[in-house]
Amino acid sequence: MAGRFFPAALMARRNLTRTKMRSLLASLGIVIGVVAIASLGMFGVALQYSFTQNLGNVGNQLTVYPNSGENITELTERDIRSIRREASPTATVSPVKTRVEPVSYNREDAVRETIYGVENPAELYEAKEGRVSPFRSGALVGSNVAEEHDLHPGSQITVNGTSVRIRAFFSTNPDNRIIMPATSFSQRGYSEVYVIESTGTRANETAMGIRDALNDREERVFVQELGSLVDTIEEQFQIINTVLAGIASISLLVAGISILNVMLMSTVERREEIGVLRAVGYQKRDVLKVMLMEATLLGFLGGVAGVILSLGAGLAINHYAVGDAMAVFRLPNAWYVGAAFSFGVLTSIVSGLYPAWKAASEEPVDALRG
Amino acid sequence: MTVIDAQGLVKRYRTGGQTLYALAGIDFTLEAGEFVSIMGPSGSGKTTLLNILGLLDTPTEGTVLLEGQDVTGLGDSKRTALRKQTIGFVFQHFYLLPTLTAVENVEVPLLLDSDPKVKKRARTLLERLGLGDRLGHKPDELSGGQKQRVAIARSLINSPKVVLADEPTGNLDSETGRQILDEFQRIADEDDVAIVAVTHDDLVNEYVDRTVHLVDGTIGRERKNGG
Repeated sequence: MAGRFFPAALMARRNLTRTKMRSLLASLGIVIGVVAIASLGMFGVALQYSFTQNLGNVGNQLTVYPNSGENITELTERDIRSIRREASPTATVSPVKTRVEPVSYNREDAVRETIYGVENPAELYEAKEGRVSPFRSGALVGSNVAEEHDLHPGSQITVNGTSVRIRAFFSTNPDNRIIMPATSFSQRGYSEVYVIESTGTRANETAMGIRDALNDREERVFVQELGSLVDTIEEQFQIINTVLAGIASISLLVAGISILNVMLMSTVERREEIGVLRAVGYQKRDVLKVMLMEATLLGFLGGVAGVILSLGAGLAINHYAVGDAMAVFRLPNAWYVGAAFSFGVLTSIVSGLYPAWKAASEEPVDALRG
Repeated sequence: MTVIDAQGLVKRYRTGGQTLYALAGIDFTLEAGEFVSIMGPSGSGKTTLLNILGLLDTPTEGTVLLEGQDVTGLGDSKRTALRKQTIGFVFQHFYLLPTLTAVENVEVPLLLDSDPKVKKRARTLLERLGLGDRLGHKPDELSGGQKQRVAIARSLINSPKVVLADEPTGNLDSETGRQILDEFQRIADEDDVAIVAVTHDDLVNEYVDRTVHLVDGTIGRERKNGG
């Protein structure tokens, strides 16, 4: 059966070259459709990729807050001990205190800022300039704050009337904070606790453990998992991608209609030829096969051209969105390109069905009467 | 040996409230190697008879035996298969596929079979018909007579028992027409193929064994030629 397709392909190919311009225009529709689906898909993938690249390392973090809805304003040492128990031994648990103080930079007027108290900032922050540990006095500021107020390690800021020396910058997000040693805080409770686990899965398990341990009788704490946030955002990206591909496939629908039109014209023009084929012994399914082969060839040509152009578009998209043109050769892109190609060919075949059926079911006697 | 035996053929068409008789009771037999022409004015049922003999159409009444086998009530698929096996067609307008070369056009009836011997046979047939130097030419590079010879070669590719020709000389000048009729005569004599030609052209009658005249769907006088 497979071998019988090749002579049909010969006839189909010759028929398409008979009206070259028309065939080209018909498959151009498929080209555009395939490029639209593939490049919009790859655009979505690139967007998602650059997003997860930026947020990828927060999946293993979680933050525990006191549940202010239950009138719990701070976490106690006991809570911290419970959290440490629930976290795995390798995890970093950093309780953070906060207070709001008037802060003045470079002898300007004081503004009220939140000061974060951390015992061991080296666990959470990486110094960009200066040294983070040991941390017994002075302050650390985020690079954002430093840039805004033109601060350097060694600069002085005034916190609640007292001069404080800047020891280092850090660029870790959030980079707009002022951090001082926890020992400088008079209150005993903590306003939040950071837990950093080795993997996202562990972070998730720890989060559940903390909820079980602390929210037993009352909802004492609220645990925010960044990992689940990332998951949610990725799901959103999937939806956006699907919608984009859906919009792009409208262009394939239009392409399909143009192929339908071309094939119908072709069957009308070749009515007598098809009548002769039937007369000399071509079964209905043989005529169907030749006509469908034409539609398939149109779709295949359009699809191949579309894939080549899409790869070009993908190189450009990835060059600008991810900064690495070669990222186009990642698996999800292959999926989109493959799907676009298949849809292109499928659209052609489906569009060819009706004209092919019409050609095949004409009585040879009627066709040859002219 | 009788190739086609048709008895009591009637073909009725119903258009509007009227019933039209394209054929009103015709008996027709055809022996192997016979060259027969069917003549008659327009609307006398020539083409209808040819279509029924060629299994392109079915009679309203009557029976058709093809090599002794009753083919009257066969469905489209079986008739198509029988056409492919035993019948060749030649048309007034040649009906060659403009995209295919002469050889490929001759191969067309068997093209989907992917039989490597078909190409060789197509070449031999074209050479026999004097087109050995035109094998790779497309139809628009051939003259009318050459096209009709390609069409004749196409009708012979399946080694048919019958070749049915509808106005085979209708689009040719008389000189070329004679060459084509010579070919038909040769094929009938040498290959023992029965040939039926529907025609208006009196020239044909110089070559045929007998002529059947149709008038209003019935057989008028029948004239046998010398042999």
